[in-house]
Amino acid sequence: MNDHPDSESTAQESSVPIAAPIIEARNIVKRFGGAVAVDDVGIAVPPGEIHGLVGENGAGKSTLMRVLAGILVPDNGSVMVDGVRLEPGSTRAALEAGISLVHQELSLVPEMTVAENILLGSTPTRAGLINTRELKQIAAAALEEIGVSVDLDEPIVRLSVALRQFVEIARAIARNPRVLILDEPTATLTPAETDYLLDMLQRLAERGLAIIYISHRIPEIFRICDRVTVLRDGRLVDTADVAATTPQQVVDNMVGRELKVDLETRREATAPGEVVLSARGVTAKGVNGIDLDVRAGEIVGLGGLVGAGRTEFVRAMIGADIKSAGRVTITVNGREKRLSSYRSAVHNGVAYIPEERRTDGLALTMSVADNIALSNRHELSRFAVLLRGKIAKFARSLADTVGLRPPEIRREAGDFSGGNQQKIVLAKWLGRKPSAIVLDEPTRGVDVGAKVEIHRLIRDLALDGTAVLVVSSDLPELLELSDVIHVVRDGRIVGTLPGDVADEKSVMTLASGGTGLIGA
Amino acid sequence: MAGKPPSAVDTRAQVDSDLGIEKREFRLLEWMADRGIFVFTTALVLVAALFIDGFASLANITDVFNRAAPIGIVAVGMTFVVISANYLDLSVVAQVATAAVVLIAVSNASSIPAAMALAFLIALAYGLVNGVAVGVFKANAVIVTLSTTFIGLGILRWLTGGSIYFGPPEGPIRSFGTTKIGPFPLSMIVLVLITIALSLVLTRTNFGFLVKSYGSNREATRLAGVNTAWVVVGAFILSALGAMLGGFVLAAFSNTAVSAMSTGFDFRALAAIIVGGTSVFGGKGSVMRTLLGVVFVSVLTNIMVLSGLGFGYQQMAIGALIVAAVSVDSLARKAAVT
Repeated sequence: MNDHPDSESTAQESSVPIAAPIIEARNIVKRFGGAVAVDDVGIAVPPGEIHGLVGENGAGKSTLMRVLAGILVPDNGSVMVDGVRLEPGSTRAALEAGISLVHQELSLVPEMTVAENILLGSTPTRAGLINTRELKQIAAAALEEIGVSVDLDEPIVRLSVALRQFVEIARAIARNPRVLILDEPTATLTPAETDYLLDMLQRLAERGLAIIYISHRIPEIFRICDRVTVLRDGRLVDTADVAATTPQQVVDNMVGRELKVDLETRREATAPGEVVLSARGVTAKGVNGIDLDVRAGEIVGLGGLVGAGRTEFVRAMIGADIKSAGRVTITVNGREKRLSSYRSAVHNGVAYIPEERRTDGLALTMSVADNIALSNRHELSRFAVLLRGKIAKFARSLADTVGLRPPEIRREAGDFSGGNQQKIVLAKWLGRKPSAIVLDEPTRGVDVGAKVEIHRLIRDLALDGTAVLVVSSDLPELLELSDVIHVVRDGRIVGTLPGDVADEKSVMTLASGGTGLIGA
Repeated sequence: MAGKPPSAVDTRAQVDSDLGIEKREFRLLEWMADRGIFVFTTALVLVAALFIDGFASLANITDVFNRAAPIGIVAVGMTFVVISANYLDLSVVAQVATAAVVLIAVSNASSIPAAMALAFLIALAYGLVNGVAVGVFKANAVIVTLSTTFIGLGILRWLTGGSIYFGPPEGPIRSFGTTKIGPFPLSMIVLVLITIALSLVLTRTNFGFLVKSYGSNREATRLAGVNTAWVVVGAFILSALGAMLGGFVLAAFSNTAVSAMSTGFDFRALAAIIVGGTSVFGGKGSVMRTLLGVVFVSVLTNIMVLSGLGFGYQQMAIGALIVAAVSVDSLARKAAVT
């Protein structure tokens, strides 16, 4: 069998499916710049199997699925359908081979109708014109197959989020797939809608579809999946029969590190100061009433899964986005002020480091000095005229404080690496000596060296008496920095853990809602 | 001993990553978007002086300046709108004609200061309406200013009935339009002074800085605590004031005013701005370079006139120029981003 050089390695796979797999990925490697998102991962799914794929945020699940669907070209490895190698990076080839991906972010066209969306990209035509009757027939058949009834002529904008999710699935089904990949389909659904969707997937599997099901929610995995693959930091940790494992085992595998945060790096507990930033009943899109206090010199961490509503909460709290209810105050020098708008928040000493530094944090075509001047323009101008000399001096000293490399403040912000860009965003606000600072994913996409420096800056802020609120999906970071961790799920705080008690397991368990089924 | 030892290569990679800067190669497109206008304008003037009969005469150069001045004044004002990433202010067509008609008609009926005051109020109104619609209500600038052009020209035609207004054969307006200092008509001097003033506003003041910053990244600017609506309103007001002065100068040059006199000002001004190297993506640009762009567009037009190419050819050339400049701008940006 020398003409099958891969056969040997296949035989060594730890968990071999009973039937021949429809889809099989081997040794997939995908890098983004220097970071390895997926590192030598293989997965094989036979017909009729629902295969769970779990891992923490950033473990590489979505990247792997995008490789399977031909959206990304892998740096190494291959995807086989029925033993035939698929052309890498071709969504068309993947579709023709019967691979349908239901995206995490909804990819429907809001203004078009249900039927049009279901057939988007494969619209039936007759003599060059859209064949409306056939279009509706196929769309109706797809909806019937998943057992959802919705008016075919309704534009997507008028549908609830849940219905949109089902239309998205109908769209995948209309392509007559043999492999169906779903990426966090229940993230936005209510429990009843989730039930319905899970039952539906089981019906589809019984009819011989191979289904890959990505979810953060462990109970769902144990309810419908036959096997489960755990990814961690881009690597495959384990593929196991669900019947032969436990939820606790899966969570352990996801987290991996045995209480990796050593207590050395943890902050000395400091005597908490007065409450500086206080939120009561903050309600907004995706946020269902959150109360929160941050004291002077305290670092409060917000943990939870992506989509839990943490970013939405902090943005609504400081007024960067609209909130529908809630009262937020800041107390500086014993004077309490209500934050009525984002500008009033900034004016009263709130600094905000947004999640998306390239789109929200920096003007990339402007120099470092100009970016820093933007949030300090009042101090750096007189009679509305900018004091260039003062700006340069100010920017240079801040670049020094944050350790910008290279410390060239005339360079455009877009020229710098991710870590240094984040330092520029921090520098923008440090100059204002904020009373409270909100950091959303402060070290995402940042190299290890810069990460350490950013952590030092955050700690220094707290030492200076700034109230610090950190949102992070990076669990070790959250544990290392926080004096107290609030875990957010479905737009609510579902648990509060003191910094010296919290560990990765306790945070993950709260975040994924795993408590209900774990051990049951 | 072929090739370097691997350790040497490793060391260099280490140094690069330590710098923290993503390496960027020299790129022709970026260079063209950045510096092209200096070279192109100089080359065009040289070629014209050497090969086009009648270009280098005093009378012709004065004529180029006379025609360049009103468009130039409009363009330097509009530059702020372009830098704020709001594409352009189409309503300058209506604004220029309105200011010209108001200057001649109202000063005939009353006085020049009254005419200027009224024109100023009208300019403020244009700036506010455009600015509030775009800055506060976040409406698309192209559609908003296209609509205010319609409204403005409609009002003007309704009030004037399309008639032509003539200034008195003697008087300050006429003499302003005909006075020269050397080859420079007064209008050109006005253009240079306004360019210097607006250049200072853009590069030295808080407001100019915020226009640039807003154009570069409006969300980051908002999150810095800036009242971004006023930045946009300010940009449109500057554009309106430029259009008003452009209208004054245009009226003085011909000592007449009619609602149709400013046709094509929008695209000629835009051509000057973009050819000057101000990016339609916003955040990058300069008033001084718009002035160079004006010279380029005006000389190009003049060369075609001297070569006997009619208005149709000139239009085609301006159109082609904008397409070319915008394409270079986009390609340069793409090259810079990736």
